[in-house]
Amino acid sequence: MRWLAFLAAFMPGAALAGADAADGHDDEAGPNAEEGPAYFGFVKDSGGVPVRDAKVSASYRNKLTLVTRTNATGAYKLPGFKKDISPDEVTISCAKEGYRQVRVFRHPAPRGRPVKAVETECRLQREKS
Amino acid sequence: MLRYGQALSAQKSIYSLPVALAEREGLFRREGIDFRVVVPVPGGADLMIDALHDDTVDLTHVATPFLVRAALAGSDAVAIAAEFNDPIYSLVARPEIARIADLKGRVVALADPGGSITYSMRKLLALHGVREANVQVKTIDGTPARLNCLRRGGCDAVPLGQPQDLLAQSEGYRLLGRSNDAVPAYLYTVTAARRSWATANAELVVRYVRALAAAFATIRDPAKRGAVVSAIVDITSVPPSVAERVLDLYAEPGRKALPREGEIEVKALAQVIAFMGESGQLASPLPGAERFVDLRYLREVARLKEEDMRKLAR
Repeated sequence: MRWLAFLAAFMPGAALAGADAADGHDDEAGPNAEEGPAYFGFVKDSGGVPVRDAKVSASYRNKLTLVTRTNATGAYKLPGFKKDISPDEVTISCAKEGYRQVRVFRHPAPRGRPVKAVETECRLQREKS
Repeated sequence: MLRYGQALSAQKSIYSLPVALAEREGLFRREGIDFRVVVPVPGGADLMIDALHDDTVDLTHVATPFLVRAALAGSDAVAIAAEFNDPIYSLVARPEIARIADLKGRVVALADPGGSITYSMRKLLALHGVREANVQVKTIDGTPARLNCLRRGGCDAVPLGQPQDLLAQSEGYRLLGRSNDAVPAYLYTVTAARRSWATANAELVVRYVRALAAAFATIRDPAKRGAVVSAIVDITSVPPSVAERVLDLYAEPGRKALPREGEIEVKALAQVIAFMGESGQLASPLPGAERFVDLRYLREVARLKEEDMRKLAR
């Protein structure tokens, strides 16, 4: 259900952030069947209001970091790392100028089913000026 | 910490080999660099330069046409080292097609109409008397997608990069020619930084360039061949035998796919600008190539190397 709500947050209009973006040169690798679960969720402020244009990072052991920004509804989506990287080794964080991160909550994965996507909510608090 | 930007798709392509190898072989660590790869999502080429400007990354991998375009639009980003010099794109066809001239009336896949792959393939076809109007052109972006088109029978010939061109040949498809047969050497991908950031962090940039230069030396080192093959296998998911052939191809006399030490050939960058002008992406008068590079860091690495050599000779 949350996944459907998430998709609705991205559509219509907002481009779904994903692995099929244009390349850094004029050739590209194709979709990777060896990809692990995607990462998605929302960034909200301490009052539960979605924060747009927040920077969201998914870091694997500080070696590789995927970075995206939230859309108008505070939603984000990042593609998976390699299949052999456990989501437990991936840290989600969020940032925006004028805010500080106060909480990161990962929704538990459904039991007994393969994990296709990992939902994490990130909370920011406006800094006092 | 040094944050290096890389497009998601570049991460899985042969073009990430120098940096991936430097990381695997501990060459950044040896230079005292806490190296982090950062992949902006979505990660289009123009976004790679944007990532420098919005402080997502410090350095970035980028193809030269995108750097030139960004700089002309006001960015102070410049190339500080070369990553891939002269790419090799192979025109690979169905087994029954023996020559480029036989492609008349056939379906030929090309990439982005304004891109360097299409440009070089047009030149290659013309070299053999075939014009674009003589073939049925299908635009397909991405080497993997073009290989799929060939395999499924939707295309008679397609341009492929490494390692898919060698994979296709191992499956019985025929090599008709290579991009380098038709176009002069040009500079393909570089590490770029904002000039202002690089100036303020010159010592770190020099250490980065030195690690990159060591990665190119590793690629050429016969004793390290196993490690390089293993890196290619991990990056591109091809069998080791194909990865071996990629290395053999790059080592062929006259091929300049990889720089020796990350050096930037300004003439090769001028060739990119000329190609952008010829394909209508840049208006005349064309800008000089020098304004898109900052060679200070490469020069400093060369000076330090000479100094080390002198010390060793004493």
